[in-house]
Amino acid sequence: MKAVIVALSCLLALSGTLAADTCYQDVSLDCGQASNTLALPRCNAVYGEYGRHGNVATELQAYANLHLERSYEYLLSAAYFNNYQTNRLGFSKLFKKLSDEAWEKTIDIIKHVTMRGDEMNFEQRSTMKVERKNYTVELHELEALAKALDTQKEIAERAFYIHREATRNSQHLHDPEVAQYLEEEFIEDQSKKIRELAGHTSDLKKFITTNNGQDLSLALYLFDEYLQKSG
Amino acid sequence: MKAILLAIVGLLAVCLPASATQCHVNPVNIPREWVTMHRNCRMSMRQQIQMEVAASLQYLAMGAHFSKDVINRPGFSKLFFDAASEEREHAMKLIEYLLMRGELTTDVTTLLQVRAPERKTWEDGVAALEHALRMESEVTKSIRNVIKSCEDDSEFNDYHLVDYLTGEFLEEQYKGQRDIAGKASQLKKLMDRHNALGEFIFDKKLLGIDI
Repeated sequence: MKAVIVALSCLLALSGTLAADTCYQDVSLDCGQASNTLALPRCNAVYGEYGRHGNVATELQAYANLHLERSYEYLLSAAYFNNYQTNRLGFSKLFKKLSDEAWEKTIDIIKHVTMRGDEMNFEQRSTMKVERKNYTVELHELEALAKALDTQKEIAERAFYIHREATRNSQHLHDPEVAQYLEEEFIEDQSKKIRELAGHTSDLKKFITTNNGQDLSLALYLFDEYLQKSG
Repeated sequence: MKAILLAIVGLLAVCLPASATQCHVNPVNIPREWVTMHRNCRMSMRQQIQMEVAASLQYLAMGAHFSKDVINRPGFSKLFFDAASEEREHAMKLIEYLLMRGELTTDVTTLLQVRAPERKTWEDGVAALEHALRMESEVTKSIRNVIKSCEDDSEFNDYHLVDYLTGEFLEEQYKGQRDIAGKASQLKKLMDRHNALGEFIFDKKLLGIDI
């Protein structure tokens, strides 16, 4: 009976082992062989079954691509508000900042993907992807803010999704490293950004509706000035 | 049913503009004589912006490649990620210029597209630097073509844009090319006999570490 238990626990231990000693085994096997190559396939940064189960690894690649696309879209919005007809330099600044932040995050996520022993795939898209129809950056002030708010929510909800995938309490899918990366580098800042944009739309909404819409043109001018000076 | 509802909503939208909430100021007309860029010049500038964006994505792929655990060349990775940001800034500078000249009031959305970079792996640092050098040469050639289409226009020689591209962009291109070419040949010499060691030392040099 005891022997059975020992054998069983040995088996369990074997199936439960992830990376223990495998790189070392590669080295011991290959060094001293009559060949001058060293493959060492298991000497890599992959651990915790990253990329082997579930979709956390591919979702992280897709998350970099999402930031990349949105970064260049924000750049175009910044350009549009900076032409001589719109001439809203505060709005332009707001979008330029969103673009810069998304660009920096793109590079950061790519580095993180490779830190976990994976490679970057620029074609990878999320399973959550929603097709956008008739996308345009040529929008007026409130429309553009609304779009930015929706986009920031899309980015934030994607982080929730990846976090959920990474924290499923199963042996193969639990990845606390990815979860804490998202929490630390994305989730808190995203909630602040969303609150800020929602606040802007609330302000504009009030300006537009009060005083029978008479304040509109002055309100937009002043709000743009405010955006130039704040943040 | 849905169609009927849509029709009603559509009708309402048409019939009720007078009482609708106005959320934006109506566009105004001001003189446009000062907006003088010509079509060919504008189109080639737009293409140039797309080219800078594509270069930024190709450099991102290089940064990603050298950042892999099995490649492990953080110096090269940094060099290429920085280059990616630089190409993005070039695109922004060209956009700024168009805005200064009264452009980009329309067709802004179609200005650029994000497409996955073509190449994803390189045999070694030399291969990547040589690829970068070829890419920069292409960019330089393309800027020269923009200059040509902006000054050869029989109705409007765009002196100022030509001067800007010549003085700022070509200057930066030639300096950048010289820098990459110097790095490529230095690395190639280093790797001639000491392949792995040469690349390792050069990579640390790129990181600013002297060993």
